[in-house]
Amino acid sequence: MNVEELVRDALREQAAEQSPARPGFADRVLAFRRRRRTRRIATAAVATAAVLAVVVGLPMLDSGRGTDVRPADVVPKTEVTAHPDQSPPRELISAGNTRLAAYFVPRTVRKSADTAVYERTYWLLDQKTGRYEKTTKWSWVAVAPGMKTAAVLEQDLPASRIGLLDLTTGEVARWIPVDHPVGGLAFSRDGRKLVATTYGENPDLRVKMEGSDGWDQKQPSSRTGFHVLDVASGKGSWTEVGLGGDPEDPMGSFLNSRQDFALTGDGRYVWAGNPMGDIGKQFYDFTGKEVPVPAGDKHLSWYVDAGKSPDGRLVAGDFAGEKWKTSSWVLDAATGKKTEVHGQQLLAWVGNTSLIAWDIAKGGKNEFHQRLVLVTIGSDKVVPLSDFRKGNDGDAGRWEPVFAER
Amino acid sequence: MNAEGLESFREFVDNRSSALLKTAVLLCGGDQHAGEDLLQTALAKAAGKWQRIDEPEAYVRRILYRQQVSRWRLKWRRREVSVAEPPEAGAGSVDAAAAAELRVVMREALARLTARQRTVLVLRYFEDLPEADVARLLGCTVGTVRSTTHRSLARLRSLAPELAALGPADAERQSSRDYSPLEVRP
Repeated sequence: MNVEELVRDALREQAAEQSPARPGFADRVLAFRRRRRTRRIATAAVATAAVLAVVVGLPMLDSGRGTDVRPADVVPKTEVTAHPDQSPPRELISAGNTRLAAYFVPRTVRKSADTAVYERTYWLLDQKTGRYEKTTKWSWVAVAPGMKTAAVLEQDLPASRIGLLDLTTGEVARWIPVDHPVGGLAFSRDGRKLVATTYGENPDLRVKMEGSDGWDQKQPSSRTGFHVLDVASGKGSWTEVGLGGDPEDPMGSFLNSRQDFALTGDGRYVWAGNPMGDIGKQFYDFTGKEVPVPAGDKHLSWYVDAGKSPDGRLVAGDFAGEKWKTSSWVLDAATGKKTEVHGQQLLAWVGNTSLIAWDIAKGGKNEFHQRLVLVTIGSDKVVPLSDFRKGNDGDAGRWEPVFAER
Repeated sequence: MNAEGLESFREFVDNRSSALLKTAVLLCGGDQHAGEDLLQTALAKAAGKWQRIDEPEAYVRRILYRQQVSRWRLKWRRREVSVAEPPEAGAGSVDAAAAAELRVVMREALARLTARQRTVLVLRYFEDLPEADVARLLGCTVGTVRSTTHRSLARLRSLAPELAALGPADAERQSSRDYSPLEVRP
């Protein structure tokens, strides 16, 4: 017997033992369909969150007016400003040099009988007052490391110009016009380059299934390619990138309708998730030629926002759930060796050994009721940074964080 | 959906949901609840287009496979995977007992693959589909199917050292990377 035969036998035996579907399954499906909320494939906020990493030699953040939680025994030099009573937060949340630079409240807004748009209302940190202020001007905000500048897109994606917003004044310092419209933005780790993902139509468009209350992503994705721009000069070029798969296939290729590009840690390549691809991601040089996975990027997951640690040695990974009910893997970028850390979803690195994550309460039953926490590799300590998000996926009470290093 | 569509949808689900559930549970690594969730979502999607679908079963299956590999799920929802205890080696021969035990080991290893790896193996070895059909269903190239199969089998071996004694599969004799230019068109 070889492995193939054993796989076949094991699957058949398992299927044979399978109990039949329970009676009334059709009714359950129809009821589910009626109450279904927009439950998106997690379109990775790679772009929104991949703005970490420049280590700036600024003094540690003053603990401010929030609860000052100092887990000195575990994370000796990480100062934390937490607001475990706020969700969404009203005042600054930060750990070490990593700050919650902004967050957005998502909402699916109906545009016609059968179309809707997943819209984001941003709340940006006012660096003078330390409070988050609402703005309805932008459909997309990417904060550069250093937190002096954000790249923004106006409403109605895809946008034909990119704004560079001065975060100290709140004014757009410069507009960069683009010949191929843009739906998403991400800075390089050093903040000098900006990758703008281009789309033929709004990547956040949702369409209605006949007779359903729910909204689905429009397939196939309308992604067309990317611009790589030099932030200082605004100059750059556009590169076409095909979707792969079969364009005639009515179900589309396997990209999410929004599948944004990001720059690799060294800024040399552009990459994006490719959920059905061979390794789940694809890397390109700036001419659009696909390149092999760069050393050290092998273990990157496009849907894990935290990505690589500032020193590039570790990679935030997928959900683990072995040692604890909610936990995640951190992988050695070179060897892939896994270490389990607390946290349901790893969102941003704080130095090279701690991370900000979503996590549910100890003994919590609802997977969607998470709060921001600070976790540390090799430590059991979980430091709450915000209150719990309310509602289930797609409901009111949800907010999505945008982190940046100051 | 009108009354006629509703009736045909119910009829389809009543007749086919048990068979579809078998596949869905296998895709979810033996997790009954996750399999039901997966099938429910796939059927709900199909219901939206019900009266425009020519071949409902093929359509639902395709949603099932693709949904499983594309959606990002909070994996901690994964419940305990129920794995049958290996039968006592009584009346049967020692070989039969050992084979049953190997199948249990294999199930546990299958449950630990990624959704994508498991989906390819289910399509290849449970549904017995040729590589070209798997590629068409999943919207990828034959080369991707081949290399995923190869890697998934290798992963099974690494997850379960008990499988080391088994002979190499045909798929394992092929190169792990296959840059075959074959694009599959429906």
